[in-house]
Amino acid sequence: MLFRDAFKTSTRSLTQSKMRSALTMLGIVIGISSVIILMSIGQSAQDLILNQVQSVGSNLVIVIPGAPSNGKFSPPASEQGIIITTLKQRDIDSLEREPSIDAAAAVVNGQAEVVYGNNNKTITYQGVSASMFPVRKLTIGVGSAFTKADVDSANHVVVIGPELAKTLFGSALNPINKTIRLKNLSFRVVGILEKGGTGMFGVDQGNVVIVPITVAQKQLLGISHFSAVIVQANSQYDLNFVESRMKFVLRQNHGITDPNKDDFNIMTQADILSILGNITSILTIFLAAIASISLVVGGIGIMNIMLVSVTERTREIGLRKAVGATDGDILQQFLIESVLLTLLGGTAGIAFGAIIVGIAYLVISTFFSSLGWGFAFPLSAVLLGLGVSGVAGIVFGIYPARKAGKKNPVDALRYE
Amino acid sequence: MIEVNNLKKEYFEEETPTQALRGVTFSVEKGEFVSIMGPSGSGKSTLLHILSFLDRPSGGSYKFQGKSIDDMTDHELARVRNKDMGFVFQSFNLLSRLTVYSNVEIPLLYSDIPSSKRKGLIENAIKAVGLEDKIHTEAGRLSGGQKQRVAIARALVTDPNVIFADEPTGNLDSQSGLQVMEILESLNKKGRTVILVTHETETAGFANRIIKIKDGAVESDKAIVARHHHTGNLK
Repeated sequence: MLFRDAFKTSTRSLTQSKMRSALTMLGIVIGISSVIILMSIGQSAQDLILNQVQSVGSNLVIVIPGAPSNGKFSPPASEQGIIITTLKQRDIDSLEREPSIDAAAAVVNGQAEVVYGNNNKTITYQGVSASMFPVRKLTIGVGSAFTKADVDSANHVVVIGPELAKTLFGSALNPINKTIRLKNLSFRVVGILEKGGTGMFGVDQGNVVIVPITVAQKQLLGISHFSAVIVQANSQYDLNFVESRMKFVLRQNHGITDPNKDDFNIMTQADILSILGNITSILTIFLAAIASISLVVGGIGIMNIMLVSVTERTREIGLRKAVGATDGDILQQFLIESVLLTLLGGTAGIAFGAIIVGIAYLVISTFFSSLGWGFAFPLSAVLLGLGVSGVAGIVFGIYPARKAGKKNPVDALRYE
Repeated sequence: MIEVNNLKKEYFEEETPTQALRGVTFSVEKGEFVSIMGPSGSGKSTLLHILSFLDRPSGGSYKFQGKSIDDMTDHELARVRNKDMGFVFQSFNLLSRLTVYSNVEIPLLYSDIPSSKRKGLIENAIKAVGLEDKIHTEAGRLSGGQKQRVAIARALVTDPNVIFADEPTGNLDSQSGLQVMEILESLNKKGRTVILVTHETETAGFANRIIKIKDGAVESDKAIVARHHHTGNLK
């Protein structure tokens, strides 16, 4: 039997019961679209996270307090409720003396209510060194950043995020030189960040309040240590060398002789990228694996319906065999039917998945525009979807098709 | 053309052997019109299934066009069924959702006749049974007599040497039955061998030879000298 004839025969019997074919396909449609949606959204999330890390700059090295976990990723000590207070100003001074280091900027974080007139908002404030602005490439839209002199003399000046500026001052009023209150202290607004988005340590840059670190430490938080230090390496030096110099300097400052007892953790951007890349990939694979369970269920649905169809069409099989169809011809016909069902289901699933991913993109980018969510529809997901649905058709179709092919024509013709 | 010698068929039902054929011997020449008659359970259907290559005997020999069934694989049997045999069943066995055209096409799908020649063959076969005006009608919408004529067209389309008919008038009224038998008779006159299984004497009377089967053995094998003159009172 020619493949073309077999194909025609199969499509004919599928279109004869359109409703059943469509319902049979539904399981595969749902399975494939779930896999596609999760893979695409996982890809977007991964891109987003990696972009944010990358936007920090490639020659940055981050020091966070707390012992490293020997290559294994675990939350920083501060996230576990352990406060390590050893990272201090003299570490910054020592690091900045290293020729391989261009700048070292410290940061502390806190939360408080910010008030202007009748407007107020609870925000995360950051105390930073003046050098943080160039190191983090934080660009100022209106006004200017505060200076090292401001930091040294603990002046009450702030730089605020663009969305917070709108909340506090509306769009008509110029916020520059206005006075806002933070924890009952008055601050003069000197600059507004150019853009929002999620910044380092998950802080919403659109609504951030940035104050001199000296003010934040002594007057807002009452501490003398840092939450993190960001070091900008001299680009002429190898990052591994810079890292080793940093370890040396910090161990000396903290009086550590045993490298296993470090009370700080140094991460380069490459470290963070690979850790985050691994985590998001594992999550995506994990979610796709869960989604593929529905694919198996869909496949079993197809097998079930094909078995019913084989029984229902016993006389047809007997007739076809009587007029010359071989076992292989019958097997081929039923196998083409099941593969057609799964491939059509797979294609519909990909299309449906694409629509959902598109809608998700529109919704997220409209309502969470500061997030910078990108559209992703990886080709690998499409190929995987088609491949998996084709294979499912063969895997779940071969048993019913073999059963059909092996029917004895005499018994099949007698079947009632 | 057909030579059976001491043909036996044994079924096992729950380990109890049942002798459906106990040694049947006869031969059929090309161009004959043979009726196989017998009461139900006599083994006539089993015999037809073996003769038409749908089943294999459990003993004895069967040669079709000089070739023994024992030397042929299942695949070869399927090829012969397609090329040299045509089938007409009591219950028509049409695919009711397909048109007359598509039903008649089925044997060609399994043949090596090029698709360019198929349309002409299908149309000729349908014309031979006088259903040109129903060619694009769904088979399920036809009357019983028309259905059986479509089945004959399907049996004809590959231009086989032998047509096997298993109680072809069993589900038809006498008028339609007569029509079907006349078509089979005319096919026989054009040189085709026709082997008919029936338990109706009138239907069997269209043949020029009647083999009676009883309890799995040939009871009688007689040529009919004076052919039945059908006057419309079949049954």
